[in-house]
Amino acid sequence: MKTVIALIILVAILSVVISYLVREKRKGVQCVGCPHAAQCAKKSCCSGSSCCH
Amino acid sequence: MRIAFAGNPNSGKTTMFNALTGRNEKVGNWAGVTVGRNEGPFKAEYGAENIAVDLPGAYSMSPFTPEEGITSSYIRDEHPDAIINIVDATNLSRSLFFTTQLLELGIPVVVALNKSDINDKENTKIDAEKLSTKLGCPVIKTVSTDDKNNGLADVAAAAISLMGKGQKAPYLQADIDLHDKAAVDAEDRKRYAFVNQIVKDVESREVKSSDTTVQDKIDNIVTNKFAGIIIFAAVMWAVFSISQTYVGPWVADYLVGWIESFKEWVAGQLENSPAILSALLADGIVGGVGAVVGFLPLVMVMYFLIALLEDCGYMARASVVLDPLFKRVGLSGKSVIPVVIGTGCGIPAIMACRTIRDERERRATAMLATFIPCGAKMPVIALFAGAFFAGAGWVTTLMYAMGLALILLGALLVSAVTGHKFRRSFFIIDLPKYKWPSLKRAFWSMMERAKAYIIKASTIILVCNCVVQIMQTFNWHFQVVEEGMESTSILATIASPFAVLMIPLGFGAWQLAAAAITGFIAKENVVGTIAVVFAITNFIDVDELAMTGGANAVAATMGLTSVTALAYLAFNLFTPPCFAAIGAMRSEMNHRGWLWSAIGLQFSTGYTVAFLIYQFGTLFTEGHFGTAFIPGLIAEAAMVLAIVLISKKIRADFDKKYELHNNVQAA
Repeated sequence: MKTVIALIILVAILSVVISYLVREKRKGVQCVGCPHAAQCAKKSCCSGSSCCH
Repeated sequence: MRIAFAGNPNSGKTTMFNALTGRNEKVGNWAGVTVGRNEGPFKAEYGAENIAVDLPGAYSMSPFTPEEGITSSYIRDEHPDAIINIVDATNLSRSLFFTTQLLELGIPVVVALNKSDINDKENTKIDAEKLSTKLGCPVIKTVSTDDKNNGLADVAAAAISLMGKGQKAPYLQADIDLHDKAAVDAEDRKRYAFVNQIVKDVESREVKSSDTTVQDKIDNIVTNKFAGIIIFAAVMWAVFSISQTYVGPWVADYLVGWIESFKEWVAGQLENSPAILSALLADGIVGGVGAVVGFLPLVMVMYFLIALLEDCGYMARASVVLDPLFKRVGLSGKSVIPVVIGTGCGIPAIMACRTIRDERERRATAMLATFIPCGAKMPVIALFAGAFFAGAGWVTTLMYAMGLALILLGALLVSAVTGHKFRRSFFIIDLPKYKWPSLKRAFWSMMERAKAYIIKASTIILVCNCVVQIMQTFNWHFQVVEEGMESTSILATIASPFAVLMIPLGFGAWQLAAAAITGFIAKENVVGTIAVVFAITNFIDVDELAMTGGANAVAATMGLTSVTALAYLAFNLFTPPCFAAIGAMRSEMNHRGWLWSAIGLQFSTGYTVAFLIYQFGTLFTEGHFGTAFIPGLIAEAAMVLAIVLISKKIRADFDKKYELHNNVQAA
């Protein structure tokens, strides 16, 4: 029983973590977890014409 | 409605943006903190349907640096509905130059006279009503750092009320030829004269700019070219000692005790379960992630102290102190700012290179800035300093000093390779006034970083640890590796070829090679992977309330001497940063050749520093060179040859591009 519960916990943890990582990467976040990640995301960096020098 | 926040650098734009939107963008008491555009809706009480757009600081609408270009192009091309022009009330004459340019664009402007509290303390009076009449726009006194009576609600309301209205300019630039430098200079002087007349009419001050204040006297010492360096070294040593030798480990002890107990509990619950499940949950997830999280208090204390230094205005002075050194090696004085930001994270440091105007200097700085150890490398330093060297504080200070020295040496090398000739560069920075740092702001800055650290540890590090654990448990036939056959595991067979390359550096174990490789995903992974492959969690001695030190279980398990440990530490710190930072380098450099040169230089630097530490360290401690000295020398010679060939190619391309006669004959 303990093995089954542990297995469920392991799968749940990995599913949540991997889906979170995929979601963040799709948003263009370069450094997951960083409070200023939005500022570093490529989309917002290069929105100004002279940003992409 | 879109409302742009524009003003001179360090006038308090992002602080006001955060206060009005509830966001938590990075702020700092110096110029050049914001280098990109931030957007967010106003808080409900100010009107959530309105979008605030925070822009990098600019001195004029004619962009001088790439990040100023973001501001001018946004205002010109995207036509916000209103502009909140944040003006540093303590320096009105300089700020109003930009204000008068904004007022010419026809977009309604509200002027926020920020930092008015400092003016009150210095008995500087500004007649806001009179200034409003002269500029033809609302002028409101604000104190963005104050929670109450800050004037922010009035600013927001004034900006929203201007929706759809136009703006009359108090000063109009003459119709001049913008290619004629003399005409532009003359026009700028006229504008300055207009601004100075306004300031004369609306401002009265007790403390004249020409007076020598107490702050000036302090600056004479703190920014002195000799005393300044000593003070800077002492300050940084104090930061690292407090965070890594005293307060940090004391707090970490409690955390590690809980993690260790939890790991034992999980392992106990799973003692009858399959070994892989126990290894993944207890060793991989709880143990590996716990090993990284165990260093969190050390990192938090360091961030708290650095936030205090930034807020009180010292870090801007540190830039001034280091400026002459940077100029001597062909970098801009502005390169100091990315280096200082790099103590937190390499990515914003690389982005901060946008403030550097010269392209070569900008790329060179982006290439070298990550030599300064970032927060993610702190657990790696703390682990090795604690496990192999009793005095953890000096090891950290040494690593930062080495990082700085490598930046200077690397800059000289880049100048030599690119054939760069000495050019006089200028570094102009507004030195903010000294002030008592806000404990509250430093606390929240620390908590933001702690949150980021925990998210990273519980996502990327967790997944990496699981992968490492699985690769270590199974061989290529997906059979569980038996005890004594660890070298047949998937992880060992992948890491072993890399380990061979590291023999001249003194650490040819596949476990250490695997840890170094996973470090490129996130540098904290070095600690996590070491914890998993050596099955160690407790890097901090619970009984002694201190980092484990000397010849203890950690050092013995890893099979390293103090010399090889230092070499391994240097290798991890000075080889390329994590992939995310390399991605930032790619987008900032925007040149494939520069990017690959940067990666090559960083690999060569890490390898060379580790080689020198190991070989000469062994020579001094044991009287002979270490293992594989000759193969190491051959590897070094290959790196030198590669640098010479690249340099020759760059010079040949340069000659070909500018050679007059051949080009004419070809034509």
